[in-house]
Order: sequence, then structure tokens, then C-alpha cells
Amino acid sequence: MILSPILSLLAVLGLAPLLPGIANRIKSALTGRRGAPVLQLYWDLAKLWRKGVVYSSTTTVIFRLAPVVLAASTVLAASLLPLDGRRALLSFPGDLVAFAGLLGLGRFLLVLAALDTGSSFEGMGASREVTVATFAEPALFLCFTVLVIATGDLRLEGMLGRPLVAAWPLAAPSLVLAAASLFIVLLAETARVPVDDPLTHLELTMIHEVMVLDHSGPDLALILYAGSVKLALFGSLVVGVLVPRGQLAAPLALGVLVAGLVAIAVLVGIVESVMARLRMNRVPQLLVAATALAGFGLTLLLA
Amino acid sequence: MTLVAVGLALILLAGLGAFALERQPRRADQVFRYGVLAGSGAAAWPAVVLLLRGARSSGVAERLPGGAYGLDLLSAWFLALLLGVGACAAVYGIPYLVEERRHRRVGVAHLLLAVLLTALAGVFTARTIIAFLAAWEVMAVAAYLLVVFERERAEARRAGLIYLVLTHASTLALLAMFATWSGGGVESRFEDLAGGRAGTAAPASAILVLALIGFGIKAGVVPAHFWLPGAHAAAPSHISALLSGVMIKTGIYGLLRVLTLLGPPPPWWGWTVLLLGLASAVLGVLWALAQHDLKRVLAYSSVENIGIILVGLGLGALGAAYHEPALALLGFTGALLHTLNHALFKSLLFLGAGAVVRATGTRELDRLGGLGRLMPRTAAAFLVGALAIAGLPPLNGFVSEWLIFRGLLEAGGAEAASLRAASAAAAGLALTGALALACFTKLHGTVFLGKPRERFAIVSGAPDAGLTAPQRFLASACVVIGVLPPVVVPAAAGAARVVIPDAGTAGDLGGAAGAAARVTLVALSLAVLVALVWRIRLLDGGRPAARVRETWACAYPGVTSRMQYMASSFAASLLAAFGPLSGRRVVAGPGSFEVHAADPVLDTAGRFLWDRLQRGAARARLLQTGRLRWYLVYLILSLLGLLGYLWTAT
Repeated sequence: MILSPILSLLAVLGLAPLLPGIANRIKSALTGRRGAPVLQLYWDLAKLWRKGVVYSSTTTVIFRLAPVVLAASTVLAASLLPLDGRRALLSFPGDLVAFAGLLGLGRFLLVLAALDTGSSFEGMGASREVTVATFAEPALFLCFTVLVIATGDLRLEGMLGRPLVAAWPLAAPSLVLAAASLFIVLLAETARVPVDDPLTHLELTMIHEVMVLDHSGPDLALILYAGSVKLALFGSLVVGVLVPRGQLAAPLALGVLVAGLVAIAVLVGIVESVMARLRMNRVPQLLVAATALAGFGLTLLLA
Repeated sequence: MTLVAVGLALILLAGLGAFALERQPRRADQVFRYGVLAGSGAAAWPAVVLLLRGARSSGVAERLPGGAYGLDLLSAWFLALLLGVGACAAVYGIPYLVEERRHRRVGVAHLLLAVLLTALAGVFTARTIIAFLAAWEVMAVAAYLLVVFERERAEARRAGLIYLVLTHASTLALLAMFATWSGGGVESRFEDLAGGRAGTAAPASAILVLALIGFGIKAGVVPAHFWLPGAHAAAPSHISALLSGVMIKTGIYGLLRVLTLLGPPPPWWGWTVLLLGLASAVLGVLWALAQHDLKRVLAYSSVENIGIILVGLGLGALGAAYHEPALALLGFTGALLHTLNHALFKSLLFLGAGAVVRATGTRELDRLGGLGRLMPRTAAAFLVGALAIAGLPPLNGFVSEWLIFRGLLEAGGAEAASLRAASAAAAGLALTGALALACFTKLHGTVFLGKPRERFAIVSGAPDAGLTAPQRFLASACVVIGVLPPVVVPAAAGAARVVIPDAGTAGDLGGAAGAAARVTLVALSLAVLVALVWRIRLLDGGRPAARVRETWACAYPGVTSRMQYMASSFAASLLAAFGPLSGRRVVAGPGSFEVHAADPVLDTAGRFLWDRLQRGAARARLLQTGRLRWYLVYLILSLLGLLGYLWTAT
């Protein structure tokens, strides 16, 4: 029985680098370019892994520790989600707090690593990163609250598992609102348009990219990989809410999840093609709107 | 209780010894160090044993000088955290104050610390009104004298004055509370007050409102928080640790004790506490983010953590009011555990800040930077404290916030429809956590990381063991509670059961103790995964050796350390999103740019009230003629008034 969560986790961890590739390919196609191969991130990771590292003379051990902790905590956060539709590898009441906490731990150290370099560019990126994250957090927790009340379960594997199937007919409007809110949180947390532009060319306009400007070689590979896993994690949340898979057989549920993740990546690519990045001081407003969406969902449930 | 008294007497004796032996500094330090350690150990022993055994109550009130004292699980919980933090602060204070010997007598500070510890222990164990209020006043005055210890600084005197006014407002409210409750008898024992057994049937709502005012001011709840940042920043750092870590918790203890005696409160009280807690949590950390002074950041963050504790306490009160014992237990347990956790990591951070201040002579964040290389041990301990206060796994702050979050989310499934709305508070707590992350990355990053903004003559290596040992102890306590919550959660739940005795059916916190073991699993998995990735990362796949170069500055050659992001620029974009609520004021002129961190409450309501008070006082000055005969007239008039009162009363 424990085999299925492990296999699903490995599958998602293995397929995660595919998602940014799909999003970028869609973006290229829609803007009339051929674009990079879908598997580009895999090649990038392999190349970076073989490269040497350059450390800034200002940095301390925190700079070296941050990518490692980021990757480890992101993978551990993945093990809290019921990827096969039923069971998570690790589950307990209130594990959603641990989910958010583990992602927060990675962010904390990455921000410190940015400040560790003493670079004004990276300080700028770190400052923007915490600003965006601050406004994304309440939206995420309100979505979790909606799920908890709709399903009556405090465990992520229940909120996204079988109890959710029973909750859908009763709480459909709230769940749709929560999923919409989660999708905005996904765009913010994974540094995509309209919050951040991963393909921008000027450091002054970046958020996440400029924060990791000094990381190189395997360190950068770990950060890029963790970023793709994070996209898969938030994608799994959105898919998990919209397509309850608790009643499906585990392999089928995993297949649906992967198809859903691909769809999310396509959607991200479409959003990136049709929208420009928002001005920095507009980003909090977008995220407050996401919080309000989830808040409406909650009000519908409580009424 | 006898052992507690003996231990406290030992602490007082050690303080007196340090005071008397001012001429022989070395011997005074030895006496104080070992006296306080032995005394704390002796006094904490019964409390810790009681908590680990989980006995309902050994604490029948015992007659001791000045009233009756007792030790139940609730008292034991607060006593244990007081003595743990107190011993650390005292040991740290000895080397911390050594340099002060050139300016002043430091024995006074040691004596006052001993008095403060004893008074706090008195507050936590008193079982009669008079004993409680006496200990409360001694605590307030000792704390005031310690706040103005560096009295040549105007800032310290001003902070001390504001503190003194507010603490007496708090005492006044408590006096009124006990007076309405007991019908005037200050000798009343607490047990006589319980369950409305006192002579008067004072309305519970009046008692609850007065308790909230009196204890709320002491705890530093928004909007009565504004005495706290100044006072805690002005005191010597080990005193700040004790004030922020323990003294403001007397307000939390007081509220819990009142609930214990009064029984389940009405729902409106629970809602009020919950909302006050949310306001304190969000605004406290927002204002902390805006500060440029190392110790003021920490002080404002205490307002935030008091808010988190109050969210738990309010949830517990709501659970009690709506007859949901499992919810009440989760709320109170979370609040109590966060009280302990905050005591540990906040005093750890203050001790670290003290080491920085000692080494550099400044608290201004915009002058500090890059200290991690010079003070690696302090930096490491400070990092543990910063991660813990941000509520991140695998540290202790996460465990208590997890309990409170669970309680809030479980309220979403409550029977009473109105109680379900409490679950929305989870979003407020999440915002607090995210802001705390911003605040403490800023603090650690600008103090310990990056390039030094100024050169300080710091002797690196071999720091004073007296300064680092307490930090190491507190940091390990944070790690142990974070990794092994099953050790402390049952003890906290035991103390919470004192407040709501009918939670017996709620079993093991609705599975929280079992779930706490899962937190251990998360922490251990995280450690294993980090070690694994670190190991894989070190594998040498024929990769070129690492090179060390300057930080990449996009090929710009003239980089200086002044171009780094500083505390104020790091927080600027986040604070700007909150507008005037953040208290950040920018004064920009031609060729000048200043950022001020104002306190919105002190600058508006506080100043207004103070002006009114001063104008009123100016009018009352008419009475103050300075002529003896007028004073004699006043004396006789008041005597006559009293006689008249007695005559009409009988």
C-alpha cells in the first residue's frame, strides 16, 4: 500500500522539470517562434551539474547551505500531498501548516543567501520576493480553510482525497473559487507572469531570477530543480481541488494528475503570452484579489 | 512549595551578595553566578517534576510570609519558563555588565534582577489578592529601575516614564478588578473567588473587562503596546530578554488564572481576545519590520507574539464558551506552548543582540553588517532564533503555531455556526507568519551577512563563554522542542487542563499528541534529506574546483559596501503596500532622504492623551502652593471627609 505514494512521488519529482519546458514552448508557439525543446530544463540541469562553482568572497556557509535546504524542504513538502489521489507519504492533522512551513524554510534561507552576497541586485530581488510571498500566504491559507470546512478533514490527503469527492456536490462554488485563488498563488509562488517574468533580460525587472544571480553550477541546478518541483506542487493543489480523484484507482489517479499538470503548464504558457508583467506595486493588489476570491468561497461555505 | 521558597531565597541572597561585594568584582560575580544557578535549579525542580508527572495539583495554598502561595500545573508551567530564562539572563548579565563597572555600580543591577525574578515567581504562585498585587508592584518597580539603568541616556528616561505610567494604569485596573470581585477584601484567597463564591455577586463581565484592560496593558496588546518597544530596547540586553521573554507573559498568566477562577467566559469575550490578538500579531510584526534599531525590532516582535498567544487564548475561551472542550484544549495548549517558545527564542535573540551591541557599540541596523564572519557563534545561535520565531519547521515556533492553526481550522467544523467564522483567522495568522519571515530575514541578513557597512574593532574568536553559553543553551532548547514536541505538548496540555477542567473527555488533544510524533518525523526526514542532498552535492563528478571571486555586480566596477540593500530599503516595498498603517514616514528633500519608523498609536492617540493629561495636571497645580498651612488644611479636610464617610457607612 505504501508503494503507490512512493511511486507517485517519484513520478512527480521526475516529471517536474518538464512543466516549465511546456509552458515556455506554448509561449513560443503563441508568439510565432519555434522555441526551446520541451526537455530543455533537463539538459540545463545536467549541464549545470557538471559545471564548476564560483563563490563570492563575501559569502558564508549560508550561501552554500541554502540551495541544499531549499531542494530538501521542497521535496519533503511534496511528500505531504496525496499525489496518487488517496494517500500521502506523510500525513497528520494540520499537515498543511507543515507544507507552508517547509516552503517557507526554503525561502528563508534563499533570501538569506541573497543578502549573504552583499549585492544590491540580489538584495532587491530578496526584498521583492518577501513582498510577493507575504501577500500570497493569506490566500493560500484561506484556500486551505475552504477545503478543510468543505471536507471536514484537517489532513491534506483528506482535503484532496476521498472526502473531497463527497464535498463537491455540496460546495462546488466555493471549491471553484478556491481553485482560482490557488492558481493566482501558483503564478506568484513560482515567479511567472503576471507577477514575475522568468524570461526578462534586465536585472532591474526581475524578482526571483535576480535573487539567485550569484548561484552557479550545481547550486543553481538545485534551485532551478526546486523551482520546477514547486510548480508541480502548486499545480497538484489546483488539479487536486478541481479534479477530485479519491475514487479512482491509484495508477489512473496519477495519470489524471500528470495530465492536469500538463494542462496547468499550458495554461501558464497561455497566461504568459496574453499578459504583460504587472507593475511591482500592482502585484500585492492581484494577490489581495486572490485572497478575496478565497474569502468569498469561505463566506459561501459559512453562510 | 518549600523548595521553591528556598530557591528564591537563595536567588535573593545571591543578589544581595553581588550588591555587598561591589569592591571585589570577581568574588561578587562568582557568588551571583552560582547562587542564581543553584537557586533557580532548586526552585524549578518541583515545577518541572510536577509538569512531567502531570499530576492534577499538588498545590494546596501554603502560608508563607505575605500571604498564601501554591503550585498547580499552570503556575508550574510559568515558573519553569521564568527560571530557565532567568538563569540564562543572570549568567549572561555578569560578563555583559563587566564593562559597565567603569561607569557605575553594577551590583545594583544584579540585585534588581534577583528581586525581579523573585517578584515574578511571586506573581506566578500567589494565591491571595494581597500577595499577588504586592508581587505585581515589586515586579513593576524593579523592572522600571532596570529600564532606566543607563539613566544618562534621555531615551532610556523617557521610555522608563512611559512604562511607569502604563504599568500603573495596569495595576489600577487590576485593583478595580479585584475590588469588584471580592467586594473589598484584599485578604481573600483565590479559591474564595472561584465560581462566584465571594460575598458579592459581581457581574462576570465587569471582571472580564477589567482583567482584559489590566493584563492586556501588561502584555503589550495593541493599542496599549506603545510602552513596550522603548522600555525593552532601553534596558540592558539580558534584562530585555527577561522583560520580553517572561515579564509580559504575566499578562497571559493573569488572564488564564482569571478564567480558571471564573469558569467559561461569555462568547463576546473570546471574540474580543481573538480580534485583539490578530490586530497585535499583524500590526506588531508590521511595525517590527519598519524599525531600524536592532532591539526595537525584537521588542515590536514581542507585540506580535503576544498577539499569536492571544489568538490561541481567545480560541480557547471561545471553545469553552461554546462547549467545545477539544477546541478549548487546543487553543489553550497552543497559547501556553507559544508562551514558552517565545520566552526561549526571544530571549535568545535579545542575548544575541546584546553580544552585537557589546561588540560594536551600536544598535542601528544601517551601520551593522557582515558580523557573521567575526562572531560566528552568535550568528549561528541568532539564526536558530530567527528561524524559530518565523514559525518554520523543524524548530519550536512551528510546533505552537501548528497547534493554534489546527485549533482555528477545527473551529471551522464546530457545531455552532457563528464559531465557524473563527477559522478565517487562519489567514491573519498566515499573514503574520509571512511578515515575520520578511522581518527576520531582514534582521539576520543586515546584521550578520553581506559586507560590513562600517569597520568595528572586534576581536574575533574566543568570545566570552558567559555570553555564548546561555545562547547555546536556549538555541538547543528551541531545537529540542521543535524536533521532539511529544516531550512538551503533554505538559502544556496538562497546564491547559487547569484552565478548562471539563476537557477530560477530549482525550489526547484530539490526537494531537499522536500527531506531535508526526512532527518529529517531519523534522527527522528533513534532517536526513538535507544531509543526503548535501552529500550528493559534494560528489565530485569531474567538476572543476570551486573558485572564489567578487560578487557579480553586472560588470559594474565601482561597487562599495554602501550600495548593499539595508534594513530600510529591504523593507520598503513591503511597507509601502501597507500605506500609513506601517508607520513608515519618508522625508525627502533636495539632496536628503530620511526614513522614520513612527509608532502610529503613540503618535496619535498616545500623544493626544498625554497632552490632555498634562493640561489637566497644570490645572491641578493650583493646589500645589508650597505653603505648609495649605497642606495642613488639605490634611484636615481629608481626615474630616474620611470620618464623614465612616459615619455614613455605619
